[in-house]
Amino acid sequence: MATSSGRGLVSHDTQKRLQRIAVYLTALLISVFTIIPVYVMVVIAIQSPATTFAGGRVNLLPTEPSLRNFLVLLGSTDTVRYFVNSLVVTLGSTVLSTTIAVAAGYGLTRFDFTGKSLAARAVLFSYMFSPIVLAIPLYVVFSTLGLLNSHFALTLALTAISAPFCIWLMWQYFQTVPIALEESAWVRGASRWRTVRDVVLPVARPGYISAAIFAFAVAWNDFTMARVVMSRDEMYTITVGASLFLDRVSIGWGETMAVSLLISIPPFLIALFLQRYLLQGFSVGGLE
Amino acid sequence: MATSIHLDTVRKEFRTLGNTHVAVDDLSLDIPEGSFTTFVGPSGCGKTTTLRMLAGLETPTSGTVSFGDEDVTDLPPQERNVSMVFQSIALYPHMSVRENIGYGLKIHGVPKAERDERIDEAAEVLQIEAQLEKMPAELSGGQQQRVALGGAFVQDPDVLLLDEPMSDLDAKLKSDLRVEIQRLHQELDTTVVYVTHDQTEAMTMSDQVVLLRDGELAQVDPPKQLFDYPNSEYVAQFIGMPSTNVVDCAVEERDGGTALVGPGFALSLPAGVDVSPAGRVRLGIRPQYLDVGSAGACRLSVDVEVVETLGTESVVHGRLEDGTPFDVVSDAVDDAVAGDRLDVSFDLADAFVFGEDGETILFGSERAGERSSSPAGAGGVTP
Repeated sequence: MATSSGRGLVSHDTQKRLQRIAVYLTALLISVFTIIPVYVMVVIAIQSPATTFAGGRVNLLPTEPSLRNFLVLLGSTDTVRYFVNSLVVTLGSTVLSTTIAVAAGYGLTRFDFTGKSLAARAVLFSYMFSPIVLAIPLYVVFSTLGLLNSHFALTLALTAISAPFCIWLMWQYFQTVPIALEESAWVRGASRWRTVRDVVLPVARPGYISAAIFAFAVAWNDFTMARVVMSRDEMYTITVGASLFLDRVSIGWGETMAVSLLISIPPFLIALFLQRYLLQGFSVGGLE
Repeated sequence: MATSIHLDTVRKEFRTLGNTHVAVDDLSLDIPEGSFTTFVGPSGCGKTTTLRMLAGLETPTSGTVSFGDEDVTDLPPQERNVSMVFQSIALYPHMSVRENIGYGLKIHGVPKAERDERIDEAAEVLQIEAQLEKMPAELSGGQQQRVALGGAFVQDPDVLLLDEPMSDLDAKLKSDLRVEIQRLHQELDTTVVYVTHDQTEAMTMSDQVVLLRDGELAQVDPPKQLFDYPNSEYVAQFIGMPSTNVVDCAVEERDGGTALVGPGFALSLPAGVDVSPAGRVRLGIRPQYLDVGSAGACRLSVDVEVVETLGTESVVHGRLEDGTPFDVVSDAVDDAVAGDRLDVSFDLADAFVFGEDGETILFGSERAGERSSSPAGAGGVTP
């Protein structure tokens, strides 16, 4: 491109200014489509339906904040139970998936074994499956084993969808950790396990935190697996539970938006505190 | 306690996709205890693989490695009292300099107070006291290398292995650290094995230089011996800067004696020297041993192509009349420019004669009766 010292159609400064304007416009456009829905959700959640729909129109400037919607959720629904179910399976599958990913990533980069490239390709291939493809076979498996309606089964099912990508991420990440760091520890007398604990895991922290965040997001936002594995109301996760609210006469928009707000809190907190690691990990995985 | 090291027909093969690559080919070698031995050679000659076998990071395909009387061939690195400094430096990024240096001591259960004392001592020797509480990323390349050295010798190893520890440093730092490493070696009771592709490091620091070629031993000798008595054309060309000039010569009968006839010159050999009659040989002359002018017995002309000035002396890169590259190092060629024709001369005492298989068949200095002393020292090696 002709950017040679301001001799083009527009000067260098003007080009820079135009570039900045373009960036801001894009950012603005994207914000409109993300911030407005979130804003609507928050406003409807923290007003009573009476205030929101007062005067025959939707009032989106909060005048009388109230906890009425949350109290209805607590009083007449199983929201707390759903939320706890979600937390249990999400934490379980995050820990499981990350552990598998760290072990597999370490093995794939540090050991030679027959079928290694096949295994690696299989991991990527299994990532291509959509959850619904796995859901029915998993239902059959869990049903045969008598594991339906258990946190354990849902944890495994969620791990099945998040693990392939997590493994791939850790596999990439471990390739950036120089083997000389480990060799240096071995020569100094550290066993392989001690080296993993003292050197490998601390150095790989940005990688496995990214993997954990991904596994968390998959599990927390899952709908399909929970819908298939859990059939009893008290075992529903928050996503499945919330989707059923709209079918009920007693639950309106206010309560639905309140539960949506609750669902958003954990991912929001994680993004807030761990985004530094997320970017580091994904930039290594080539996903920047 | 320093220990001697013995390699007995050590062989290392790597197999990849059905191909077998022989990295080290039946290497036998003795390294005396407490010595400073350098493995040198071009990339892929097997020097790092050999070092890694000494560390226990690779296991020989066959042969044995012993430390003193103990066979350590199959011992894992954890069970050998060795320390190693890696080419990539390999400091733990999440540990402070103090923790990096003391990590090996911590593994061996040395109490914190004693650990700190030894770390402080090491830091003082290496002049990194002020850096002890910093993280590795805050240090310069030279400081990082010092920390790596500190971590290696603070454990008081029997054998200290250094794998091209200076390849990423600039020239000034290299010469500082060269002195540092030699001082450490003098202070410590340890056998040092050093790997480098830089012959300056090999020649200046070692008691003994091991020159490898394609996984095989080319020659093992003290630096001066290696420079003066290379046993092959390969060694003569590898050791010395710039490389030894090598010229194809015909062996001819002249005036009742044997003479080597090359492009534009003839060198008569003393009686009794056996160089396969009527065959071809190659004549090696170090650029430093050439005299500008006609003082020597054998004269030839060089067409000057490039002149590099090094301060007191200059390196002239040129060609003989048949196009053979030919370099001259002299302090008397300051005004030479490209295109000049330079007359130089040498004596038999300055030359090596290599047979067709590359082996040295004649050291000129041994057979030139009137000039038996070597005309220049190993000082010619260092730039």
